[in-house]
Amino acid sequence: MSDFQLKFYTNFIKEDRYLYLLKGLGNTLIITLFAVIIGVVLGFLVAIIRSTYAKTGKLKLLNTLCGIYLTVIRGTPMMIQLMIMFYVVFVSSNNKILVAVIAFGINSGAYVAEIVRSGIMSIDQGQFEAGRSLGFSYPQTMWYIIMPQAFKNVLPALANEFIVLLKETSICGYIGLMDLTRGGDIIRSRTYEAFMPLIAVAIIYLIMVVGLTALVGKLERRLRASER
Amino acid sequence: MSDNKEIKNGDVLFEIEHLQKNFGDLQVLNDISTKIRKGEVVVIVGPSGSGKSTFLRSLNLLEEPTGGVIKFEGRDITDKHSNINLYRQKIGMVFQHFNLFPHKTILENMTLAPIKLLKIPKADAEKEAMELLERVGLTEKAEAYPSQLSGGQKQRIAIVRALCMHPDVILFDEPTSALDPEMVGEVLNVMADLAREGMTMVIVTHEMGFAREVGTRVMFVDEGQIKEENTPQEFFANPKNERLQEFLSKII
Repeated sequence: MSDFQLKFYTNFIKEDRYLYLLKGLGNTLIITLFAVIIGVVLGFLVAIIRSTYAKTGKLKLLNTLCGIYLTVIRGTPMMIQLMIMFYVVFVSSNNKILVAVIAFGINSGAYVAEIVRSGIMSIDQGQFEAGRSLGFSYPQTMWYIIMPQAFKNVLPALANEFIVLLKETSICGYIGLMDLTRGGDIIRSRTYEAFMPLIAVAIIYLIMVVGLTALVGKLERRLRASER
Repeated sequence: MSDNKEIKNGDVLFEIEHLQKNFGDLQVLNDISTKIRKGEVVVIVGPSGSGKSTFLRSLNLLEEPTGGVIKFEGRDITDKHSNINLYRQKIGMVFQHFNLFPHKTILENMTLAPIKLLKIPKADAEKEAMELLERVGLTEKAEAYPSQLSGGQKQRIAIVRALCMHPDVILFDEPTSALDPEMVGEVLNVMADLAREGMTMVIVTHEMGFAREVGTRVMFVDEGQIKEENTPQEFFANPKNERLQEFLSKII
């Protein structure tokens, strides 16, 4: 057996060590997926509240709350937020995945909110006026006319945020959660070898990001159909 | 809005009483009172910054008045308990910059509001939209997107989009000002056709020829007030207000 094959064997095959990566990958995907969902819902909500306030002066109290949320979340490191969630807020919870989902979801929501808000504010005021002049209410105008256009405009920025989120989940090891990165770390601590597990982890992240980018690109092209 | 009282020609559609609008310290509309009747084609002219667009946009509350009352079909729409969305369904509007929805096809632009707001079945709404498209000679654009149209075509679509809601009146805010000169005619023709069919129209424009030929009343707005209003013949032949004489001498 060549040196490479031997290393591959000890790092991944021996004692079924690849299972660390597989299980870690599963956790990474679960956390990312649900955090994205929370982040999108939270982000759109906050963005709509903030742009409604900017345009109409309504929802003042909610706008202030959203402002505080954005300041705190964007002003502190993700890792600290995760540890506060685990060691302080949900101190009695054993469900690390759930804690991570919530922490990453709340964090991502703040960034999604600003991305979506910039999208809403970039839509020409005339679009609002056209919608309102036809008799659509403010929420209907948002839903049928503004959001579809805003969403299309911010899709690249949103995709970027999700890529950042996916990679950021690699700090889950700090609360003892075995994500993909932690899985590689465990192998490294068993085999005393850095190259194989780290490169493997890097390649898996890369494949996921490339796949995600391709998916978003496809969606973007479909949405851009109206701009031929 | 619930009763279906037929509105006859000559009935008052808009009754505007002491309308005021301030932007901060700036007084844009200063005590405007007038009536607009069914079947009228009211053309509003005036120098830029005179408040004519603000006045027009107040009629469907795109600008909220700071004082005075606007009654539409007998009801006070400035009352904050009234549902402005219902009134706006009856008040069409055409904008200087068209404001078509770029993410929707022409047909979708026209049928969105009738389907969602008037609950007209999709097939019926599309059938009617196609008939309107035929009237303005744009049938082949039904599946196109706004970005594929010329300015004149966009504005004709904007007009028929407003028509799809069966409005009692249409407001035009400088409908030809953003158009290349050779496209102005096609839009004015559509508007003249509408006027002939008896559509009530309130038009802010700089097209004096159109005002003279199609308007039933011309209104000169300056410094936030109606300084003079008259039939087109009188308005252009015998202007009484000094500012109006000056204005007309500059543009004709």
